[in-house]
Amino acid sequence: MTTEKKLTGGGLLFNVLEQHGVEHVFGYPGGAIMPIYDALYDSNVEHFLCRHEQGAAFSAVGYARASGKVGVCLATSGPGATNLITGLADALADSIPVVAITGQVATAAMGSDAFQEIDIFGLSLACTKHSFQVTDINDLAAVLHQAFAIALEGRQGPVLVDIPKDIQLAEVNGCLDHLVNLKNKVKLPPANVGSAIALLSQTKQPILYVGGGVGMANAIDELRAFAKTTGVPSVSTLKGLGTIDPTDENYLGMLGMHGTKAANLAVQECDLLIAVGARFDDRVTGKLNEFAPNAKVIHFDIDTAEINKRRVADAAILGDLKVNLPALAIPLSIIHWQEKCQMMKTDFSWDYNHPGESIFAPAVLKEISDNMPENTCVTTDVGQHQMWAAQHMLFDDPSNFLTSGGMGTMGFGVPAAVGAQVSRPTDCIIAVSGDGSFMMNVQELSTIKRFQLPVKIVLIDNAKLGMVRQWQDLFFNGRLSETDLADNPDFVMLANAFDIKAKSITKKSQVTAAIEEMLEHDGPYLLQIKIDAQDNVWPLVPPNTANDKMMEST
Amino acid sequence: MKNYQLTIKADDKQVVLERILQVTRYRGFLISGINAKVNTGTNVGTIELMVRSERSIELLVDQINKLIDIKEVKVDNSASQQSIA
Repeated sequence: MTTEKKLTGGGLLFNVLEQHGVEHVFGYPGGAIMPIYDALYDSNVEHFLCRHEQGAAFSAVGYARASGKVGVCLATSGPGATNLITGLADALADSIPVVAITGQVATAAMGSDAFQEIDIFGLSLACTKHSFQVTDINDLAAVLHQAFAIALEGRQGPVLVDIPKDIQLAEVNGCLDHLVNLKNKVKLPPANVGSAIALLSQTKQPILYVGGGVGMANAIDELRAFAKTTGVPSVSTLKGLGTIDPTDENYLGMLGMHGTKAANLAVQECDLLIAVGARFDDRVTGKLNEFAPNAKVIHFDIDTAEINKRRVADAAILGDLKVNLPALAIPLSIIHWQEKCQMMKTDFSWDYNHPGESIFAPAVLKEISDNMPENTCVTTDVGQHQMWAAQHMLFDDPSNFLTSGGMGTMGFGVPAAVGAQVSRPTDCIIAVSGDGSFMMNVQELSTIKRFQLPVKIVLIDNAKLGMVRQWQDLFFNGRLSETDLADNPDFVMLANAFDIKAKSITKKSQVTAAIEEMLEHDGPYLLQIKIDAQDNVWPLVPPNTANDKMMEST
Repeated sequence: MKNYQLTIKADDKQVVLERILQVTRYRGFLISGINAKVNTGTNVGTIELMVRSERSIELLVDQINKLIDIKEVKVDNSASQQSIA
């Protein structure tokens, strides 16, 4: 690492990245970022060339989520920068620490509608936690340090740094003494521990509602200890899956629109809802004013703005979960409620009986889950396959289940798996995708090929935009509109074109051997699983409906 | 519809005013008026923002407070009033 001699702005960028422990970045070069790519030549940072900037952004997200480190992506100005936006929005919605570096036209050309010029700084306002545009080379190092600090501080999120080409080329001293320690600038009110203890002391039917914030706060052990000490039955959001040990007898599964019947009924009946790192998302609550209608609420969070945003908290516990959860972990006498929840869990357990020879996606995903190696990381795209994966696969850590929760971004799964595999080269990485989502970033198969990443892709193929088709059938009188994908390409041939081994199966009798072959294959593999196009995700809470009024069949 | 007046102190950084306006619009508040000035000695800007909404002002205050460059957000209760939409 150079610290004394003159550097270009591009060289300084990589020195600062190395200072922050960045080993891998994802990107795509172009005209206005060429000085940075030139400096890459002399750096120790390894660059992964993706085949679309959106792929680079999602790979950075997947990298961050699988590793707990900051994900870094690079793109040029104009279309390169705008192609990052969906990935940044995804990272913002799911609070993922990402630093995006964009090239910009030279400062003298800015504002002149120059070739490949776009106001990405302005566009970034709604899709990042914060953003910078560097107009003085002497500010570059401090800005980059701030970007990393902001991405990780408090509620994590994406930060964009836009660097004009002349700043990338300008010379600067290689001084590296600008590490920034931000303190949470929003002064948090004191945790309302007394009120929370009073609520815990009075409760007869509490539920622990676990969100993605627990994993982000690195407070999984504290959360599990809280659940064990209190004995409170627990439910999880989509992004919280893996936080609670899925084999815990008091764990009821995912709640919300496609949650388990036991989880949703227990939440509706509870008298105290203990929300931890969760934000009462509309996909969780269903009809908001009928969500957990008889419950008092204790709300643990790091973000002041989440308190009382969608549901008024009777006790707000703001701050570090690692500190606050142990402070409230007191034994409770709730044996009858525990027994009732466990009975609901048994009575409403999944039914994998499925008539006929066609493949039942929930059963396949359960079989993969039962057989995948320890510490496997699963990514998904968005749609029916995503919900089936959330329902039927078990995870022991949220960093082992990467799915686009808040933004619900189709095209997330494969590039996120690329990032996950780069960050955890010895772990098995499985991308569960659907035929609609898969085609949205199919070019990233080329990234898998280039770097020989042993990603396994499970393609649940119903030749439909399945979730939209399901809603059209259920809520739009069966008027199917633009959801038929019968003209999909031959996915096996497509994978083979990228030197990826592939197999297609259509019958139940083929499932076990196909899963075994995929998991044992030493390299990338695509398993296409054709399913009945009429299969639906159940249960389903219809829109603007209370969670105890779920549909379980047509 | 309620009217509110906010007094916001912020570091004089790039696009800080745009950030405040973007958050205000996105979170469901209409802007009735705005005054902004910068103390060039301290590089601190003061923005007086008149907004109206059906929503609780705390929702907006919390979101503006999250912006990195914001130092302080105060609601001027004497200037805030309820009006007929």
